[in-house]
Amino acid sequence: MAPWRTPSLVRLKALARRPWLAHGVLTAMAVFTLFPMFWMLTTAFTPNDLVLQRAFRFLPEDPTIANFVDAFTRQPVFAWLINSIVIAAAVTLGKLALAVPAGFAFAQLRFAGREVLFWTVIATMTFPTVIGIVPLYVGISMIGWYDTLAGVIVPSIAYIGFYVFFMRQTFRGLAPEIFEAARLDGAGPLRQFWQIAVPNILPAVASISVISFMGAWNIYLWALLVLDSPEKRMLSVGIKAFSSVDDFTPLWGPMMAVAVVSTLPVLLLFLCAQKVIMAAFTGRTDG
Amino acid sequence: MNGVMSWRVLAPYVFVAPALVFVGVFLYGPVVFSVVLSFSDWNFIHPDFNFVGLQNYRRIFADPNFASATWNTLLYCLGLIPAQILIPLGLAALLLRVRSPWMMNFYKGALFLPTILAYSIAGVAWLWLFDPMNGFFNVVLTALGLPASRWHTDPDLALWCVTLVTFWKNFGLNMLLLFAALISVPRDVLEAAEIDGASPWHRFWTIEVPLISPTFFFVAVTTVMNVLDDIVGTIDVLTGGGPFGQSSNILYYMYQRGLGFFQFGQASASAVLIIGLVMVVTWLQFRAFERKVHYGS
Repeated sequence: MAPWRTPSLVRLKALARRPWLAHGVLTAMAVFTLFPMFWMLTTAFTPNDLVLQRAFRFLPEDPTIANFVDAFTRQPVFAWLINSIVIAAAVTLGKLALAVPAGFAFAQLRFAGREVLFWTVIATMTFPTVIGIVPLYVGISMIGWYDTLAGVIVPSIAYIGFYVFFMRQTFRGLAPEIFEAARLDGAGPLRQFWQIAVPNILPAVASISVISFMGAWNIYLWALLVLDSPEKRMLSVGIKAFSSVDDFTPLWGPMMAVAVVSTLPVLLLFLCAQKVIMAAFTGRTDG
Repeated sequence: MNGVMSWRVLAPYVFVAPALVFVGVFLYGPVVFSVVLSFSDWNFIHPDFNFVGLQNYRRIFADPNFASATWNTLLYCLGLIPAQILIPLGLAALLLRVRSPWMMNFYKGALFLPTILAYSIAGVAWLWLFDPMNGFFNVVLTALGLPASRWHTDPDLALWCVTLVTFWKNFGLNMLLLFAALISVPRDVLEAAEIDGASPWHRFWTIEVPLISPTFFFVAVTTVMNVLDDIVGTIDVLTGGGPFGQSSNILYYMYQRGLGFFQFGQASASAVLIIGLVMVVTWLQFRAFERKVHYGS
């Protein structure tokens, strides 16, 4: 190494150790991620006629909930909220009902075709979500599920590749000896699953429930296609109703109010379950 | 006894059957059906089912919108895949240097937060910032005496606006995954390298990155899917693929052909091409990582 390079290397080393570099970059990124949400929040509480005056207004001068009242009276926002909750809860229950037993069988039971069937399920992780949208739409229309919540819920349950993979990893982490012992005691597969395996992996079930709920809360394109009546929409789709009202002028104030209503439940869920979510996303790489 | 034995043999299939039925009916079924439809002229307006050979494929290859959607897909990939892997990797490395647990949690939470938003909500929040009339960005530009921009309604900028919003919404998850992997790299390995005189930069690329290659692989695969697929929601809310198809991608093109114009045959033909593309990309990724991924502990 050329002698002139040593000082700069030392300086680089010192620079990398300096905490202000990390703090500076990370703070800048936090401003980048938080600002659009902050702007959404402050607009939601600013009177709508002030919103349309070109001006900086970092905090609403005259905070009001008028935008929320306006949004809820113009459109069935409360029904959208209920629909979002029903869809997210039903999709989550459906995914748990499919992925937990399948994950257990792929991890702890022996049967012919196990690997092939496992990869058949896992390969669907690479399917683009909109790939089968035309046949699905035709099928849903033919069986009369167009404009019903079931039409949104049932096909959405099928995206279980990640969940089955995650549950298999989790059940694999249990010691095979406990199942061996249970088998000697005469416990069948159902008892091994329900009385031994499941009680031991409840934290993992909690993680994927939260992840699935947040994912289903955000379903957009499929709900946009299937749900037609104004009162049957979910929040993620309904918000578009505010984008061009009179003369194509978006009602920014009420729109941001609906955005806040749509974000609050998942934000609260995220804050309560932060540890559980982080563990799920990162567990498979640490463990 | 015989009944018990056969239940023990059958039970695993009972456990996995519901998952397989759903995957079969709602994921594999539509894909197979798309292949059939791509060779036919069937749709809601034309209910007679006839095989038309490669006509649908010829139509989309002759469609300039398909060509521009394909080109845009490439631009999205070139812009977003490196950005969504390398920037989160750098941020994860910086996070490692944060000592205070409180600050660490703040940064992790703040940078991950957009990930939990719906695509439509993220889109709407940015639409408001981009708004050419009263949006924050143009207010700032005007206040600084600079010309206002048309942002997502400008044919030259629309694609980059979608890119920015997609990056904003998605990089946090990759950062967390890479951070969790980096923090699990054994300290003694790094200390040994430091004693050997390796620079932090050199150490990072030759020791830490190879050691986290399984996570890197997972992040790479999910990011490619994300850039092709999840971006469709952002495109729909932000630009609707416009102006003049300048921000569409191949999946959005397929969606519009099928359920905007009800051209089922052409939509299915593009679906088949996309499936082919995804299979090739996934295969290439597995090949590329097969030998390089380090699965030691």
